[in-house]
Amino acid sequence: MKIVFLLAACFSILAVALICIFLFANGVPAIWKIGVLDFLLGQKWMPANQLFGIFPMIVGSVYVTAGAIIVGVPMGILCAVFLARFCPERLYKIVKPAVSLLAGIPSIVYGFFGLVVIVPIMQDLTGGNGKGVLTASILLGIMILPTVIGVSESAIRAVPNSYYEGALALGATHERSVFFTLLPAAKQGILAGVILGVGRAIGETMAVIMIAGNQPVVPDSIFGGVRTLTANIVMEMGYAADLHREALLGTGVVLFVFILIINLSFSALKRRRS
Amino acid sequence: MKKFFALALTMAVAVSALTGCGGSGEETTGGDTAASGSISVVSREDGSGTRGAFIELFGIEAENEAGEKVDYTTQTAEITNSTAVMMTTVAGNKNAIGYISLGSLDDSVKALKIDGADATVENIKSGTYKVSRPFNIATKADLSDVASDFITFILSDEGQAVVEENGYISEGSAGTYTASGMSGKIVIAGSSSVTPVMEKLKEAYIALNPDVTIEVQQNDSTTGMTSVAEGGCDIGMASREVKDSELEKGLQPTTIALDGIAVIVNQENSISDMTSETVKSIFTGEITDWSEIA
Amino acid sequence: MRVQNKEKISQRLRSYKKQPLSALLFLLVMFSAVVTLSVLIALIAYILFKGIPNLSPELFAWEYTTENVSMMPAIINTLIITALSLLFALPIGIASAIYLVEYAKRGNKLVSLVRVTTETLSGIPSIVYGLFGYLFFNIFLEWSYTILGGALTLAIMILPLIMRTTEEALIAVPDLYREGSFGLGAGKLRTVFRIVLPSAVPGILAGVILAIGRIVGETAALLYPAGTAAQVADGLMSSGRTLAVHMYALLNEGLYMEQAYATAVVLLVMVIGINALSGLIAKKVGVKE
Repeated sequence: MKIVFLLAACFSILAVALICIFLFANGVPAIWKIGVLDFLLGQKWMPANQLFGIFPMIVGSVYVTAGAIIVGVPMGILCAVFLARFCPERLYKIVKPAVSLLAGIPSIVYGFFGLVVIVPIMQDLTGGNGKGVLTASILLGIMILPTVIGVSESAIRAVPNSYYEGALALGATHERSVFFTLLPAAKQGILAGVILGVGRAIGETMAVIMIAGNQPVVPDSIFGGVRTLTANIVMEMGYAADLHREALLGTGVVLFVFILIINLSFSALKRRRS
Repeated sequence: MKKFFALALTMAVAVSALTGCGGSGEETTGGDTAASGSISVVSREDGSGTRGAFIELFGIEAENEAGEKVDYTTQTAEITNSTAVMMTTVAGNKNAIGYISLGSLDDSVKALKIDGADATVENIKSGTYKVSRPFNIATKADLSDVASDFITFILSDEGQAVVEENGYISEGSAGTYTASGMSGKIVIAGSSSVTPVMEKLKEAYIALNPDVTIEVQQNDSTTGMTSVAEGGCDIGMASREVKDSELEKGLQPTTIALDGIAVIVNQENSISDMTSETVKSIFTGEITDWSEIA
Repeated sequence: MRVQNKEKISQRLRSYKKQPLSALLFLLVMFSAVVTLSVLIALIAYILFKGIPNLSPELFAWEYTTENVSMMPAIINTLIITALSLLFALPIGIASAIYLVEYAKRGNKLVSLVRVTTETLSGIPSIVYGLFGYLFFNIFLEWSYTILGGALTLAIMILPLIMRTTEEALIAVPDLYREGSFGLGAGKLRTVFRIVLPSAVPGILAGVILAIGRIVGETAALLYPAGTAAQVADGLMSSGRTLAVHMYALLNEGLYMEQAYATAVVLLVMVIGINALSGLIAKKVGVKE
């Protein structure tokens, strides 16, 4: 019977292996055919003319993810502080489920909300078409909130209370004790939450595609339109044939490698903590 | 300490951005509604049947020195893969211009006259409105009886009446259809532009032949053609011409309808007529401001 | 009580005057909590406001036609795909967790490999799952669009979630139970199935509900393997769209905006229901302890 359990445990290894094999086997040859540098650093994405440069999309994903961190992480950490140290018990019973509800809302609903609510507001504010890095960053920032809040909150709660009490005893205010003793002590846990949030932001597809503008160019300002790796795949996968299709699978490979790097650094961080 | 200052600072930026949105929600769109302001071009994704037909008909696609066809759509054009996003975008942005299938047009946006002709079924038939493309279906030689009966229905008076009712253009019909009383299953896959009318046709056909089941897969032209060639479905749908490479695989195309492409702008836009030259200049990025259009 | 509170507040305010940094931090914390909550409220209010007027009994007809644009087949497909995915993922996930907690020795190389791969799985974006599902089931195995392919793709996607929650639930079972069982002469297997697993059921259930939530909201991973047919799938090997995919498809052609809003309401209600359920179970677990 132990063997059965062991086999089941090995299934996840098998799954990762299968995903790697199929993705790489289909994507990597195309990357070679196009040329690794031409593919990764090429500025032009014109599939009809056999130009497959995904540099704008890589930059796009990085910009949007960075924007999401700037919007979502400080908010998320402060919110986690609120939940862990400021929130009255009775309010907590409402706020906590509300935050997990935020995590459960399908991304396509987020995207639609962004399109009909955030985009017009941005149009008024900036005078442009309202879609671009900033809009995508705000929406993604909201979308990673629950991840950041959840992990950070449990990290803050895991810090022994004696830290907090010690600071209070030394005459620090409640806020100072929380921010200057608890937060630094919980910093690795919070970092883990941020990394998870980055993973979510970089992999988000259905919401980004509606509000980012999707121009395959490197954006010239934070209001400029941007196309992410995920958007590139989902928009053109349906139509693509031959080398174009393989190039999109190659885009998937690049995205997958990004995620692998993020995950490995996450596990490394976790191991160092334990 | 410094770190937290930086943290507080970035947060302040983020917060001000967020409150900025929260506060201005009530503001009405300022400025005049006259034709000025930089144009927001909205286009479909590369490979879309609608985009393919649009760039071809307006000459946005041209040959370069090497003789390759190049799509000269401006790189700053916003791209979407969904008609709904296209319409919502144009309906919400008074400086936007885009294009959609005539069958999807509604009151939320305004369709432009092209070279003086309204985007209507009549004008497409008479040839004054030139922006149209074929809806094709493709089959293989070994077509099942029930599928070929369905195609007979599509091309009949009754089938083409359904086509016209839904805002697409019939290219003439091949006589009346009598129910065959067949049974079986037909799988249809392909272009999401053709799907709506295909679903209508399917319902009309099933009303006559209740024993037949038809499954309609909404994906895209290329997938539709490929899956017919590979035997994954009986009938493929394409919102463009069937390519030579696809014909080589033994596909037999049939045009079931014509679809107009409407060039759409915001309802508040004062312009209602545009020459095809102007449309081309806008989409290739030569004209970037509404004030440049007389 | 009130007076005391007031005193406390005024005391606090006085201390803030002396401590501007603390005051600022306090304001920031409160502010971000308020903003987070108001975003959530705005999101829900907007969907309900736009969607509820568009809800009509027609939308819940058994058959999808272009006249009624019913979402009933999509709801049924969602249930089928959810059930199928759980059917695959639950046994494997629970068995893996049992191996990791009850059998594996500490420091085992295999165990750390399993952990790394599980973490990797949980980090993979759904679009990559979708691509994989398409490459493996549709191209390699030459199935056409099938709900079975979709369900298997999702099963892999929710596997890490189920493994992790089950593992946590198993670890939470006190060793005393196990020792008691062994002391009474029960074997390892009997102890696991009769003693440990039943005590871990609420925790496992919480994981299952999280997984259901993820399946219900999934679009990108299902688009390619499961296809978009609008009917109830008439077998494992035929195509069907779930509710989230249904909404995506409705938005695609722009003909059915009202119905898309209504679909969003139903999706939201489902998600809220699932969340409430998991909250309830979590509470039950708490009571037990």
